[in-house]
Amino acid sequence: MDLNTMIPELLSALPLTLAIMFVALIVGFCLALIATTFRVRRVPVISQLADLYVSYARSVPVVLQLFVAFYGLPLLVSLFGVEDFLSATIAAMVGLSLYHGGYLSEVMRPAYLAVDRGQHDAADSLGYTFRQKVTRIVGPQAVYIALPGYGNSIIYLIHNVALVMYIGAADVMATAHLVMERDYNQYQFETYVVLAVIYSLLCLIAWLIVRFFELRSSKFAPKAAAPAKITIMASV
Amino acid sequence: MLELKDLKLSYGSAQILNGVNLSVKRGDVVSIIGPSGTGKTTLLRCINYLAKPASGTITFDQIRMDYRRADKTAVQAIRLRTAMVFQQFNVFKNMTVIQNVMDPLVVVQRKSKDEAREIALQELERVGLSAKRDSYPSQLSGGQLQRTGIARALAVRPDMMLFDEPTSSLDPELVGEVLKVIKDVTSSGITSLLVTHEMQFAKNISNRVVFMDRGVVAADGSPTEIFDSPSSPRLAQFLNSERTLQ
Repeated sequence: MDLNTMIPELLSALPLTLAIMFVALIVGFCLALIATTFRVRRVPVISQLADLYVSYARSVPVVLQLFVAFYGLPLLVSLFGVEDFLSATIAAMVGLSLYHGGYLSEVMRPAYLAVDRGQHDAADSLGYTFRQKVTRIVGPQAVYIALPGYGNSIIYLIHNVALVMYIGAADVMATAHLVMERDYNQYQFETYVVLAVIYSLLCLIAWLIVRFFELRSSKFAPKAAAPAKITIMASV
Repeated sequence: MLELKDLKLSYGSAQILNGVNLSVKRGDVVSIIGPSGTGKTTLLRCINYLAKPASGTITFDQIRMDYRRADKTAVQAIRLRTAMVFQQFNVFKNMTVIQNVMDPLVVVQRKSKDEAREIALQELERVGLSAKRDSYPSQLSGGQLQRTGIARALAVRPDMMLFDEPTSSLDPELVGEVLKVIKDVTSSGITSLLVTHEMQFAKNISNRVVFMDRGVVAADGSPTEIFDSPSSPRLAQFLNSERTLQ
């Protein structure tokens, strides 16, 4: 076994890993936005359901959430007469989206609440609607507060994508196990090191993107509170 | 122009407003004075519904609203005709000085950006902040922040200005610059309600002074009546304590 054959083999599973990750990122973000809106506005019943969802996503181990999605979704869709549509990949996307959405909601909600009450008062007193207030004033300030936490949640998501192999999705981690077993587990250390490098690079790219937005949105922050220029060593 | 009747508001077991009645005529400059915690700021915040009284009515020109059945349209109509200057400035932190003044004009009043910019520049000139128009709030002093707040309030062309202790959060050497701007605003004839602890200033700029105590209007009269011949021992005691402090 040499690296020239192992690395391309592992990288061949990267598109699926990235697909699961991006779907979870996008769907999770939308779920977090919806859940946070209801949790902040305290709409009776719906807000409590949103609280329950966030509590589930944050308190149940991710691997267990993946099993719940894998075994629970077929039961759910069969109620609507749909059979055999669910693959491990779709279950992984659903499970991780639910996890990421719940986790992210608990980043967004405190960020929204951390915006000074006076900013709301000023906007209300000038006649801004709730939507105008959120998009023009409170939102941009909350984004600045939320970005470091958002960066962390993306990194946790990347780590947790590695768990989808337990429900049979053929991601990088699952492929690595196949490669190792094919070689009678002779090159476990080398394979795991290559895997570690791949995950580190993914996290580094995610961190650089979030950091870019952090710097961009910090133009209004006091100098002392603004994030320092990017230094790779302080990354992930 | 403005009439408040029997306003009652409590936070938990603490009764803040205990049946406040107040009327303001167009062009009046009314200073509201009184001990801390007596409901002055809350009263001001009831006018634009930032505080929500349990009962009472407000009449603002043709707009009439019973606080027990507050409706969005009336609240919005009142908010569009008043503008508030806050004790903590509450300048939008994510916007530059000029964006702070322009944004309500563009977003709420649907004015064009060019028109909003022109108005904003006028108001910034008026409060002496033209040179700082592209600065962010984090780069300004307290006095400059408050003057931004005043420019933002003036730019929406309100029928009534609500000043909520505009100098209480300022260092003593910055108070003067803000008081000068407020004096200029009130002398231009705009109806104003001013909650303040600056007794001499209240005496100089107001044509009426209201003394609030324990959630009610305890005295109401001209500055001379209130400051030179206090009608009650409680008012005299309050004025004495303020004089001692100053």
